[in-house]
Amino acid sequence: ASGEDIALDMTTSEKVVDLLNQAALRTTENKLVDLKQVQELIINKDPSLLDNFLDEIIAFQTDKSMEVRKFVIGFIEEACKRDNELLLKLIANLNMLLKDESVNVQKKAILTLTQLYKVALQWLMRPKMVSDMQEACWNMVTQMKEEVLAMLDSDNDGIRTHAIKFTESVIITLSPRTPDSDIPKKQEGDITLDKIPRDHSYIRYDTLCEEGKSALDKLLKFMVHPAISSINLTTALGSLATLARQRPMFMSEVVQAYETLHANLPPTLAKSQVSSVRKNLKLHLVSVLRHPSSLEFLAQISTLLLDLGMNQNEINRCTPAARERKRPH
Amino acid sequence: MPSHPLRVAVVCSSNQNRSMEAHNILSKRGFDVRSFGTGSHVKLPGPAPDKPNVYDFKITYEQMYNDLVRKDKELYTQNGILHMLDRNKRIKARPERFQSCKDQFDLVVTCEERVYDQVLEELNSREQETFQPVHVINVDIQDNHEEATLGAFLICELCQCIQHTDDMENEMDELLQEFEEKSGRPFLHTVCFY
Repeated sequence: ASGEDIALDMTTSEKVVDLLNQAALRTTENKLVDLKQVQELIINKDPSLLDNFLDEIIAFQTDKSMEVRKFVIGFIEEACKRDNELLLKLIANLNMLLKDESVNVQKKAILTLTQLYKVALQWLMRPKMVSDMQEACWNMVTQMKEEVLAMLDSDNDGIRTHAIKFTESVIITLSPRTPDSDIPKKQEGDITLDKIPRDHSYIRYDTLCEEGKSALDKLLKFMVHPAISSINLTTALGSLATLARQRPMFMSEVVQAYETLHANLPPTLAKSQVSSVRKNLKLHLVSVLRHPSSLEFLAQISTLLLDLGMNQNEINRCTPAARERKRPH
Repeated sequence: MPSHPLRVAVVCSSNQNRSMEAHNILSKRGFDVRSFGTGSHVKLPGPAPDKPNVYDFKITYEQMYNDLVRKDKELYTQNGILHMLDRNKRIKARPERFQSCKDQFDLVVTCEERVYDQVLEELNSREQETFQPVHVINVDIQDNHEEATLGAFLICELCQCIQHTDDMENEMDELLQEFEEKSGRPFLHTVCFY
């Protein structure tokens, strides 16, 4: 490196030290401003500093302010995405924050685990990724996954909402992409079950496959709870539509769940909540109908949509198979 | 109470009357608020019901104002449109289309069911990335000046109550039920994810 580069490094490093010293003495709002600057400097500007200052930033995970603790979670996510190796160390910190006393911190931790679960699996699939430490890291990720799946039974509505989205993401990861799968652009590079080798030393294809199926079972069971809140129901309806499009192998389960729900709307819902849920059901049924693999279930889906106020013409317009048939050969 | 101010979007069809009235009040009360329309164009009343003034979302409120002054100053003064545009240009330069904005919000309040449907369609058509939730609530407001004022106060009260909850997502259902009873209006409510 040239002399100029070194001078630049020193100033960045010094600046980080300065900001961290300041942050410790500041009010929450200013502390966040300082910490965000540090994050920018050591993750984007000069990642070689990341390792150096990791402990100093992570120390803020016990800060009194939940906004600062939420920042630490965001930092863990960015740091691990930047350098996967850091998972070995930081997953334990995320685990602690997942059990934070504030539900807002817990929710942020769930969102981050949703991202890092995929990142961890992908990283550990690389060749030569075999060590006791890595195996222990995966075991902890798996244990945290189970804990968040269990949060479907949380007393807190927002935690349950976040747990549903986590469950959706786990099901997608732990099931194979097939030729008829919709693949969102942003998730093209994500790991999915079909990319898991069968000969990995401690991550077993069959185990992951079973875990994915079990997560789907949990989600389906959750949906038929008679006292489910309208927001959780709405969230689950959306998750099912995502699953049907990205994993058409589950289309049958999804359509059946929609039928069951339509016939047995939870008695606890208020009138306007029933309107909201029915509107959502219609929206998600249409998005499922637009997927070519829905053809097999056209009759069931049409019946539901007619019942939800759509007319046959509108339904036909959303049916890809119908358009195909009209095309002259 | 969440320590960061609630990021709110108020949305109507043309980002002129209902959403701007609410934008005005919410920003005076210290909310982090933006406003939008979901229509393909901005429509303002014209000389007859079948002759609306139609503008692109790129046109500024000031340009619309000048255009209408040129077309018929008396008419557009009388029906309050110039007054409204004058108010609007003090808030921001031009109307914004909800579908073109990729910023994230905690809460989106829509002013009629059709707009709510368009917001849901837009949010559901985007690829999910962070799974950060956004709550969408519809409050029906007729598109005239008086109703827009009343509606804006209702939206403001609603936002204040939501802002003051310790745990917004856990208390939202109950809060909306109370508001429905108090205001005598049904609210549509859902959650989408970024």
